[in-house]
Amino acid sequence: MKRVGIIGTGQTNHTRMRNDVNQAELVREASALALADADLDPHEIDAVVISNMELFEGRAYPELWVGEGAFAAGKPCMKIATGGTSGTSSCIAGYHQVASGLFDTILVVGFEKHSEGHTQAGMALVDPFWDRAVASGALGNFALSISQYMAERGVTEEHAAKIAVKARRNGSRNPHAHLQDAEATIDKVLGSKMLAHPVRLLDMCPQSDGACAIVLASEDRANSLCERPAWIAAAATRHQQPYIGDIDRRLITMETLRDAAREVYAKAGINNPLKDFDVAEIYEPTTYTELAWYEALGFCAEGEAGALIDSGETEIGGELPVNPSGGVLCANPVGATGVIRVAEAAKQILGRAGDYQIDNVTTALATGYGVYAWADAMVLRGTA
Amino acid sequence: MSELRTITHEMDLRWEYASGSAMEKFCAGLLERRIEALKCPDCARRYLPPRPFCGKCNTRLSEWVPVADEGVLEAWTVMYLPIVDGRSGEMREAPYGMGLIRLDGADTTLNHYLVENDPANLKVGQRVKAVWRDDLQGAMDDILHFEVLK
Repeated sequence: MKRVGIIGTGQTNHTRMRNDVNQAELVREASALALADADLDPHEIDAVVISNMELFEGRAYPELWVGEGAFAAGKPCMKIATGGTSGTSSCIAGYHQVASGLFDTILVVGFEKHSEGHTQAGMALVDPFWDRAVASGALGNFALSISQYMAERGVTEEHAAKIAVKARRNGSRNPHAHLQDAEATIDKVLGSKMLAHPVRLLDMCPQSDGACAIVLASEDRANSLCERPAWIAAAATRHQQPYIGDIDRRLITMETLRDAAREVYAKAGINNPLKDFDVAEIYEPTTYTELAWYEALGFCAEGEAGALIDSGETEIGGELPVNPSGGVLCANPVGATGVIRVAEAAKQILGRAGDYQIDNVTTALATGYGVYAWADAMVLRGTA
Repeated sequence: MSELRTITHEMDLRWEYASGSAMEKFCAGLLERRIEALKCPDCARRYLPPRPFCGKCNTRLSEWVPVADEGVLEAWTVMYLPIVDGRSGEMREAPYGMGLIRLDGADTTLNHYLVENDPANLKVGQRVKAVWRDDLQGAMDDILHFEVLK
């Protein structure tokens, strides 16, 4: 297996509606920025991976329609669509392509233009015999498991509100973030509209229009093009059984994420995630899920997530800053969101994270999440 | 940034999905207010919805076991946002309760509506029972919702 490094990233500013461009133009914007960041010309890209949840826009074959925007014409190109994990799975697919030795340079680009379609309808198109009669969308799905998680692990609405405050304050340092609020407070979060008990408006991620791209390169290419590439130390992906009721206590156990994390930790020699990682960019669609992921990812013991956010150790300046970019709570163009996690983790190693750059980042974690049924984890390392 | 012109599409289309061997028998049971799960011969897990395979053991499932129309509320929420009903395409009016229910005799949980929609009256661990519609259709919404047992 060949060593693979991330040598460039690019993303649009994520916002509620990009009605000044079409999908292909949105994709071109991020792709061109990533190539410029990697100092590459389009002809130097061997193959392209595209991430998009096409049901949300109702536009078939996005890999064909936006391919030119991703510099894919005349090249191998494929699309990955696995809900929230689409982006991280696309990065992992690109990693596999280069690690195999068959390709040297891969562009991965994810996008979503939620404003053009109907995300809720896309989410509702589940098993026609079972789930459709009782679907409650992503929101209801989350809220259901949260009551169970709170009851078992002692997490409170205030703990969740602290996650929202951290996210929106961090987001205010990130020019790409859709939601930014340097003045976020716990009271503001607890005073926001209740959407699905106990989830409030400010506990949720937005739906954004946006795109994000990364460039992956083989060891020789990466070293010749980049001073300090973000090397992929390990990557893992997990799928689970299909129905909502299949995974017991699903938010509490979060089996898929826990198992993907265990695999990459073993491969990359991570023994104490809170200390061994310098930064983490995790896929937290709600405040409560960030708390649950702290436990699933081993940042703290089971039942200690509330204490961890209280301690401030996941803030910028803490032991392990989690989502210094603002995370999914600040920008969520679904097909791009997982690519953003990988790009933001890589930027911290590349030293290109601007106002939310963490000092001396050598080891970073990026994760993806898709409706409990899918999870991805990736460990990135810079040369010490 | 200047705004581009947009084009609006509305479509009225029709899909027709086959049930499969397991769901076929399950739906036939609903017509008689009967709920049945499929049990894995290896791990003994009793699956709802019933399906042809156990994903954990990769076995073919064929042993049907009876399941009660009441069980334990394992998780709940009250939705305050109307959400598209995936069967009718209509919006379901809020607020409404939802639960993950472990029916007696099943090992998986069932995602379904609750009559109760006041958070103060809902608790993990409560016993709940199905309320059936009168004109049974052989579909999941033959169960209208679940009520909390006092």
